[in-house]
Amino acid sequence: MNWWDSFIAMWYRQVKRFWHAKARVIGTITQPIFWLIFFGIGFAASFRGVVFGRLDYISFMFPGIILMTIFMGSFMSGISVIWDKEFGYLKVVLVAPSSRKASILGRSLGDATIAIIQGIIILIIGYPLVRSINVVNILPFLAVALLVSMTFAGIGILIATRMRSMEGFQLIVNLITMPLIFLSGIFYPIDTLPIWLKIIAYINPLTYGVDASRILLTGTGSLNLMTDITLLIILSGLFMALAMHQFEKATID
Amino acid sequence: MVSKMAPIITVRNLTKRFGNLVAVDHISFDIEKGEIFGLLGPNGAGKTTTIHMLATILKPDEGTAIVAGHDIRKEPKEVRKKIGIVFQDITVDRALTGYENLWISGKLYGLRGKELDTRIRELLEFVDLLEWKDVQVRKYSGGMMRRLEIARGLLHEPEILFLDEPTLGLDPQTRAHVWSYITRLKKERDMTILLTTHYMDEAEKLSDRVAIIDHGRIIALDTPEGLKNMVGEDIVYIYVDPRSPRMSFFINKLKETIGNDSISFSKNMISLSIKNAPDIIPKIFFLADQQGVRITRLEYTRASLDDVFLKLTGRRIRDEEGSLRDFMRARLLRFRRR
Repeated sequence: MNWWDSFIAMWYRQVKRFWHAKARVIGTITQPIFWLIFFGIGFAASFRGVVFGRLDYISFMFPGIILMTIFMGSFMSGISVIWDKEFGYLKVVLVAPSSRKASILGRSLGDATIAIIQGIIILIIGYPLVRSINVVNILPFLAVALLVSMTFAGIGILIATRMRSMEGFQLIVNLITMPLIFLSGIFYPIDTLPIWLKIIAYINPLTYGVDASRILLTGTGSLNLMTDITLLIILSGLFMALAMHQFEKATID
Repeated sequence: MVSKMAPIITVRNLTKRFGNLVAVDHISFDIEKGEIFGLLGPNGAGKTTTIHMLATILKPDEGTAIVAGHDIRKEPKEVRKKIGIVFQDITVDRALTGYENLWISGKLYGLRGKELDTRIRELLEFVDLLEWKDVQVRKYSGGMMRRLEIARGLLHEPEILFLDEPTLGLDPQTRAHVWSYITRLKKERDMTILLTTHYMDEAEKLSDRVAIIDHGRIIALDTPEGLKNMVGEDIVYIYVDPRSPRMSFFINKLKETIGNDSISFSKNMISLSIKNAPDIIPKIFFLADQQGVRITRLEYTRASLDDVFLKLTGRRIRDEEGSLRDFMRARLLRFRRR
């Protein structure tokens, strides 16, 4: 079936591209590790005695750091459709008789695959540093990671297909990623935020991924696990559907 | 040369606007099966826009085209199955190897397994890249990338191949290489090829017929010979041994054959300004032989398609800068295309 072929083709492309860029593999993993060590240990030291839920600070932020890696990986990959536009590869996909919906879904799942592998590597590296992490729930955690990844790949693709040029690329990336990361509960609990920031945090899909991961890996969180997962399923389905729809009618105008 | 059948591409009133700019302005033409059809014109003339519309990745504002039996507006997916395309800019994925690039494209066309592998190897062989198949494309030269693109355009054995400026920016040796692939495709596979170029020699050497396009309109369409005969005259220089006794008889005979006005001569050189020199030259030798005149040397220059373009538009294609207006037009088109 052509649908499956298109899916596989684009999945393979993303995974292979990453495989060839070994330096990128190392680069994307070092950053969250630096956050964990230099930020996490430093804060943990000055917060001594302060308790997040029942957790010490490093255990508190660790699930979020993994999610941050997955979020950045998939969002950047989604938005990198703009690079394909710039370097002409988009034309190659558009001129083929393949299912465009399947190819963009394959591309997103390819990105998700890589993002999740990075997440697992960070989990393994960070594990010895973190006191109260429970890896029993690793499989549901990976499912949450996948949902977060699809959500942000979808958002990235939506932005990229609407952008006409590379101008503003960096601006959009910074303008979106920084607030999303800080207002997702990775570094501090969202319960105690002032109300206007809380509202933004609740609009941010990453919040639910971070909360669900924290519940699954440490047993504490701000919200309810079922609420988190239900919302993530709806959000990832919605944004992927929108991205697929948008890509289906893409031209090179 | 060109078989008389129903055309494989029929273009009618195809039009594309970018804002106020009419990039392609109601063009119409037919392409026969097995024909190499050249679209010749300066930068910004609308060649790439035309190809993009025919390849269904740009929507026309008016008019349409039937490509391999399918309307580009109504059945784009059917059209996509029948066509292969080599884009003007490099569109291979530099982060992947040559083999991976072809594998992914093959998948997008529904090829798989052993069949796909065989096709890839065959085509890499065809474009002389087999030993580079596992090297990342970023390490290829520009010419190699272009060859890989050609291989990719051929993967699914398309009925029609679109080549958008296939030798742009290539060195002469690689150009010759690419030309030979194109002629082989026609000869060995009877492929229909639509080629855009702003190189006159390329249009002339490869195409069965050439449409000259300027400011989005087709201003002339004929075989290269036909186009040149339309406007240009060839100049033939005949160097003769001045001691030949029957020189004046020879010159009179020449005048009888080609007309009085087009001959001038000095002591040992006769110059003719004629249409279609290749047909006349054998007659010149015949007459010389008849009159016992010894020809020591013969030179001729042909009218070029550039002369045709000059005659039709008052400008040259060759001018890299072109007029300011053309330059702005090309810039604008490139900008809008993003």
